[in-house]
Amino acid sequence: MNAVQTFKLTKKFNGLVAVNGVDLEINKGELFSLLGPNGAGKTTTIRMLCCLLKPTKGTASVLGYDVVKAPFAVKKRIGVSPQDTILSERLNCWENLALIGRVHGLSSDEVARRSKELLETMGLMERAKDQVRKFSGGMKRRLSIAMALVSDPQVLFLDEPTLGLDPQARRAIWEYIAELKGKKTILLTTHYMEEADFLSDRIGIIDEGRVVALGTSQELKTNLFEMRSMVVSTENLTAEVIADLQSKYSRLEKVKGRLKIYHKDLDFKGIVDYLHSRGVTVYSAALEQPTLEDVFIQITGKKLRD
Amino acid sequence: MKFWEIGKRNLKEIYRNPVLLGFLVGMPVAFMLVFCAAAGGGQAGPIAMSIADEDRSQNSSAFIQYLGSVDAIDLNEPIYSEESQAQDDLENGSISLYLLIPSGFGEATRTQQAINLELVYKAADPMIGLQLKPIIEAVGSEFLGVAPPLNVELKGTESKIKNMAVNFYFPGIAVYGLMILISTAAGIIAGDREKGFLARMFTTPARPWDFILGYSLPFIPVVIVSTLIYLGVGMAMGLTIVGNLGHAFLLFFLIGLCSIGIGMIVGSLVKSESQTGVSWIFIVPMAMISGAWFTVERMPSAIKSVAGALPFIHAIDASRAVLNGSSFSAIILDLYWLIGWAVVLFAVGIVLFRRTMVS
Repeated sequence: MNAVQTFKLTKKFNGLVAVNGVDLEINKGELFSLLGPNGAGKTTTIRMLCCLLKPTKGTASVLGYDVVKAPFAVKKRIGVSPQDTILSERLNCWENLALIGRVHGLSSDEVARRSKELLETMGLMERAKDQVRKFSGGMKRRLSIAMALVSDPQVLFLDEPTLGLDPQARRAIWEYIAELKGKKTILLTTHYMEEADFLSDRIGIIDEGRVVALGTSQELKTNLFEMRSMVVSTENLTAEVIADLQSKYSRLEKVKGRLKIYHKDLDFKGIVDYLHSRGVTVYSAALEQPTLEDVFIQITGKKLRD
Repeated sequence: MKFWEIGKRNLKEIYRNPVLLGFLVGMPVAFMLVFCAAAGGGQAGPIAMSIADEDRSQNSSAFIQYLGSVDAIDLNEPIYSEESQAQDDLENGSISLYLLIPSGFGEATRTQQAINLELVYKAADPMIGLQLKPIIEAVGSEFLGVAPPLNVELKGTESKIKNMAVNFYFPGIAVYGLMILISTAAGIIAGDREKGFLARMFTTPARPWDFILGYSLPFIPVVIVSTLIYLGVGMAMGLTIVGNLGHAFLLFFLIGLCSIGIGMIVGSLVKSESQTGVSWIFIVPMAMISGAWFTVERMPSAIKSVAGALPFIHAIDASRAVLNGSSFSAIILDLYWLIGWAVVLFAVGIVLFRRTMVS
């Protein structure tokens, strides 16, 4: 039995299709990421799996329990960290954790024990007695994840767990999530490709409500991304040369003063020689591994942050 | 006991929020001070009243004499024997109101039948009549041992009332103050919905009744404290409690529960805290037609029927009667009505809340 399974899962809002026939099978203990831009349908999918939204069509089950027919059986077994860091602002960490733990039916002793573990793991113990409205975004996010974990759920839903955080705070949360790998089934949504790449066992790329690609990060890059890319640092690059390269190769980008060229059969030496022949100074040139963003652009024709 | 956990959280959110706490505690104090001050504050002089005695019996004379002994009433001379004479004097402005004792008064007192007395006053000055009405009811009941004209059985003596205006206004003001809990209770739910906190809680195994009870519980102490404040400030401003204080407290507590129940319904229906403002469309008209500020006696029968179907008028009338000396048996129907409303409102709140848990 899969931990999470959806079949033709669809959600429409006043005729607008937010999720369009999504089929997912997430294994127990797997960390699965739904990667897609804002508005792709990631949060709507999670909200249906958490029994907050009723699917317009299709079915979904969590640990074998149908989200429509047995919502409370599902809710007993899941932990959710929503996209917006929603906490009870005038409660402290202990109280926020106790609220969720006790509502899940844990005893006071069990809640206290789990809370202590989680506050230590999340590095919040020093501020545990402060009202959380005084916390930074990163601290709130860590507490939000701790709240999702306090009931020791079998399945964890993390909706954009690092949204809006600085790189240091994001990295810290990645480490916490990575520690959970294999212990919990995790469905994570993100529009940060590095996050999906770093954390996930498997990734589903979602766009306009459809899962357009599914696999491990490596599978997606090698199987789906046929093009190779190279980055060249240059000087004296003229518009004429750029236009000429654009006509010859599939895609051309200027990134931070560097030129990035994409093509299926990339002729590394031929490009460098051509640039020299046109009087362009080449400081460095290197072949690059494709990224998930490259995969996404190839599949959807747009950038993740569009 | 999931509701208990939700309730504890909401209580902490309230008492750790100084603005909200200040509003909930300060509002009853300010409310009572302003209204009681407007109603005259401490001692007030007696009201001059004329009498038209069409019965002219021994009993009616004794009743008039009894009325004359009440401090709050200054009986005008002479006593009219025909109502037409009193009407003439009322029209020409020589008197401001008169009490009509109809023929058959003495017979009715002997046979223990209900008696209807008419207090006739100038339309331009209704407040004096409104102020006198409860006094006459109380004195009449005390004198007769029955309940004219509203079947209110009174045992206390209206003469104990220090300030009849305060005694008239107090129940309405207190009930109106408790009605404000409608918007406050609705605002807490709507605020949590707007911020997404409810959505987070909806992913837990808590049931609809856990939420309704959990969001209602913190307001129970608010109702108790508010009622104590109303009573305390009211007494300081001249409220006289002739009847049983506990019965009055029970009535205020029940109307507080009804207000919370309505708040739960409003909170279940609206999507944001700002939308809870719609509850005022309900609160103010309901307070008006329920006699919070004016007597309902002269309102059209259709309006009275609407008001009578709602809980507020029962709380106001019954608490007015209790404060003026009515016994528990006189308010028992009002109590049943309030309990029934509270049960229905919470049941409807739970049903509506269930619908909001999945969209």
